[in-house]
Amino acid sequence: MSTTTETEIPLRQRVAENPQPALIWAAVGAVLIGVELGAILQVVGAVAGVVVNLLPGDPGASAVQSLQAAFDAIPTLVSRDVIPNQGYWNGTGYENTFLGLSPAVAWAIRVAFVYAYAFAVLAWAWNGYKRFRRHYRRVDWTPRDDVVNRFRGHSWGKFGLIIVITFVVMAVFAPALGPTTMERNILQPYDYEVSYWSEDTQSVETVLVGEANLGSGSQGAGDENVAPMTYDDFGRFHPFGTATNGKDLFTQVVFGARISLTIAVVAMGIAGLIGLGLAMITAYYKGLADLATVLVSDSIQALPVIMVLILMLVIFQNTWVRELYDGAVLIILIFSIVYWPFIWRSIRGPALQVSEQDWIDAAKSFGQTPTQVMRKHMAPYVFSYMLIYASLSLGGIIISVAGLSYLGLGITAPTPEWGRLIANGQQYVASPSWHISLVPGLLITLVVTGLNAFGDGIRDAIDPQADTGDEAAATGGGA
Amino acid sequence: MSRWQYFLRRVLMSIPVVIFGTTITFALIRLGPLDPVSAILGTQYNPQAAEQIRTNLGLNQPLWSQYLDFMYDLFTFQLGQSWVIAPGTTAYELIEIYAPRTIWLGFWSVVIALFVGIPLGFYAGLNPNTPSDYAASFGGIVWRAMPNFWLAIMLVTALSQLGTWTNGLFTWQTWIVRTNVVTPPALGFFQSPVEQFLADPGGWTESFIRATKQIAPAALVLGSASMGNEMRIGRTAVLETINSNYVETARAKGVSGRSLVWKHIFRNALIPLVPIITGEAFLLLGGSVFVETVFAINGLGWLFFNAAINGDLPLIGTLMFIFILILVGTNILQDFLYTIIDPRVGYDG
Repeated sequence: MSTTTETEIPLRQRVAENPQPALIWAAVGAVLIGVELGAILQVVGAVAGVVVNLLPGDPGASAVQSLQAAFDAIPTLVSRDVIPNQGYWNGTGYENTFLGLSPAVAWAIRVAFVYAYAFAVLAWAWNGYKRFRRHYRRVDWTPRDDVVNRFRGHSWGKFGLIIVITFVVMAVFAPALGPTTMERNILQPYDYEVSYWSEDTQSVETVLVGEANLGSGSQGAGDENVAPMTYDDFGRFHPFGTATNGKDLFTQVVFGARISLTIAVVAMGIAGLIGLGLAMITAYYKGLADLATVLVSDSIQALPVIMVLILMLVIFQNTWVRELYDGAVLIILIFSIVYWPFIWRSIRGPALQVSEQDWIDAAKSFGQTPTQVMRKHMAPYVFSYMLIYASLSLGGIIISVAGLSYLGLGITAPTPEWGRLIANGQQYVASPSWHISLVPGLLITLVVTGLNAFGDGIRDAIDPQADTGDEAAATGGGA
Repeated sequence: MSRWQYFLRRVLMSIPVVIFGTTITFALIRLGPLDPVSAILGTQYNPQAAEQIRTNLGLNQPLWSQYLDFMYDLFTFQLGQSWVIAPGTTAYELIEIYAPRTIWLGFWSVVIALFVGIPLGFYAGLNPNTPSDYAASFGGIVWRAMPNFWLAIMLVTALSQLGTWTNGLFTWQTWIVRTNVVTPPALGFFQSPVEQFLADPGGWTESFIRATKQIAPAALVLGSASMGNEMRIGRTAVLETINSNYVETARAKGVSGRSLVWKHIFRNALIPLVPIITGEAFLLLGGSVFVETVFAINGLGWLFFNAAINGDLPLIGTLMFIFILILVGTNILQDFLYTIIDPRVGYDG
C-alpha cells in the first residue's frame, strides 16, 4: 500500500491516520467478545480461585467467591442457559427446553451455535490480520507472508488445522457442549434431581441423577444399553450413549479432550522452552557445554520412554504432586523432562548454523551481552524448526497419556480421560455397548491425524526443503 | 575422519550414555519418594522383615556405597532377584522365561511392518499423485495415528467375532491351526529345534505355524506405527531419488527400467529408512507393555508393568538396565549400518 517506509511512525499513529478499517474490526470484535464477556470473566474467576487455593492460608477466599458468584450471574450468549436442553416430556410437550424442542434437537442447535461462534471469532481474528497487513503494516511484504501463503495453498495442512480447531473448540467450550454438566452428571450425581415422564404412572416424576445413572448404564445386551443418539429411560439424551456406569459419554469425551490437549500443549511448551534455551547455550558457547548436553540428552533418549513414564508414575503414586489435577501436573512434568532432549536434538543443527553467521559476530562486537545475542539474533531463526518438531510430537503425547490412563496409571478419576473410557468399555466391544471403547479411540485417531497433518502443513510452509528424516521418532511414542 | 574412526567414536560415546542412563534409574528408584522396602512389603509391613530386606538390599549403607554396589552389580551382570511378583526367583530365570515371547513378538512385528510398509511406500513413490498413492498414503497416516492399545482391543474383538459375522464360514480360531485369539505363544519348539525337527518334521512345522499365528495379530498392531513411518519415508525417499540427477543420467544412458528401480532407486532410498527400522526398537519396547497386556502375552513388557505396579523396585532396576543396553545396542547397530551403506558418513559431522 504505502510508499513510505519510515519506521518511526508508531502503530497508534498509523491507525489514527486511517481509522475506518480498524474501527469496523474493533466494533465487530466488541460485539463478539461482549456476548461472551461473562464466560471470560468466569474463567478469570476460576483461575483466581485456583491461585487462592494454592496460596497458604487461602487469603481473600471469600472475596474471590463473591467475585465468582457475580461473574456467574452475567448472561453469556454461548451457554447452557440460552439454549437449554435438559427438559422433560410432560405428556403433551417438552418443558424447560429451548423453544419446546426435543432435548436432542436443542442440544444439536447449541453445539452448532458454539461452533458457529468459535469460527466467527477465528474469522474475525484472521480478518484483523488481513486488515493489518493491508492498511497498517509498514512494509508491503515480509518473509512471513510467504509462510502464510504457502500454508494457505496446503490443503492437507488446512484439513489438519480444521480438525485441530474442532478439538480445541471442544476443549475450550466443554462445559457448554455436553448435554449435561460435569458437576451434575459425573462429580455429584446424588446432589441433583432429574424430572422425567414415567410411562407407568403417566405423570412427571423426579429421581436423583445418581439413581437415574444406575438405571441407564451400558453393559451389553438389551435394556442394559444406551446407544449413541438415543434417550435413556429418564428422558435424557445421550449423543454418544452412556458409559458402563450410566454417566453421559459425550460429556466425559469433551472434558477428556480438555485434559488431553492441555497436557500435550503444556508439556510440549515446557520441553520446547528447555530445548530452545539449551540449544541457544550450546550453540553459543559450544565445546564443553555442548558435550555435556549431548551426554545428558543421549542418556535420557536411551531410556525407553513408556517404561520411564510407568516407573515415575509408580514412584510418585502417593505424593502430593500426584494429586494435583488428578495427576495431570505430574504427567506434564514427566513428559517435559523426557521430551526436551528430542527437541534439543532437532534444533541443535540449525542453532549451530545460526551461531556461525556474520551477524552474530557483528552483534558481539557491538558489545551485546550473550543473552541479548541469543534472544534477539539466534532464537528467532531456530524457533520455526522447533515449532515444526513440536507440532509433530503433540499426537505422540496424546496417545501416550491415553495409553497410561488405559493401564490405570495416568489421569485418575474423577477427571474423564479417553484412555480410561476405552478401558471402561473394553469387555463390551463385541456387545451392543461397543460405543464406549470405539468412540474415544476414533477421536484419538482423528485428533492425532489432524495434528500430524497440521504439523506437515507447518513444516512445508516454514521450510519447503525441510529434511523429513527426524519426524518418525517424534510421532507415535510407542503407546 | 575416516568412517570407521567415526563409528568407533560413536561406540565410545555410548559407554557414558549407559552409565548415565543407569544412574538416572538408580536415582529414581533409591532417591524417589517411594521406599523400596515398604513397596516390597506392601500391606504386610512389619519392622523386622523390613530390617531384614533393608540389610539384604544394602539399603543401610551410605548412599555413595549403595550407588557403587548398584552399578557394580549391574555392570558385572549380577542382576539380583525379584522380591514381589516371583519372590526369590533370580532376574536371569525371569528373563529366560519372559524374553523369548517378547523377542518372538518383536521379530514378527518388524518383519510384518517391513514387508508391508516398504513395498507400499515404494509403490506409492513410484506412482506419485495417483488415486492408489493417495489411498496408500492416507491409510498409512491414519494407521499410524491409531493408539496401539485401542487397535489391539478392536482387533481382538474383530477376530473373535469373525465367526459370527460370516455366519461360521470363517473363524480365526480354527483357521489353519486351532488357537485362541488372546494367548501367549507356545514356544516350546525352540528348545533344541534341530533335533525336534528331525524327530517329527510335521509336528514341529505345525507348532511353528501355531506360534506364528498366535503372535500375528499382536505383531500387526505393534508394528503399526513403524509400518506407517516406513511407508511414508519410503515414499518420500523414492520420490527424492527418482527426481535426482543421477537417476536422470542413468535413464539417459539407457539403463533398463527394472535395473533403474532396483539398482539406482531402491538402494539409495533405503538409506533414510535405516533409522526408522532401528528406531523401531524404541516403539517395540514401549508398545510391548500395551500390546502384551491386551493380548495376554506375558513377555518382558508385561513383566515390567507388573513389577512396576506391584512395587518390585529391585527387579525394575534390572529390567531398566537391560532395556537401556538393548536400546544403546540398537543405536550402535544403526551407526554400523550407516557406516556400511552410506559412504558419506563421517565427512560432514
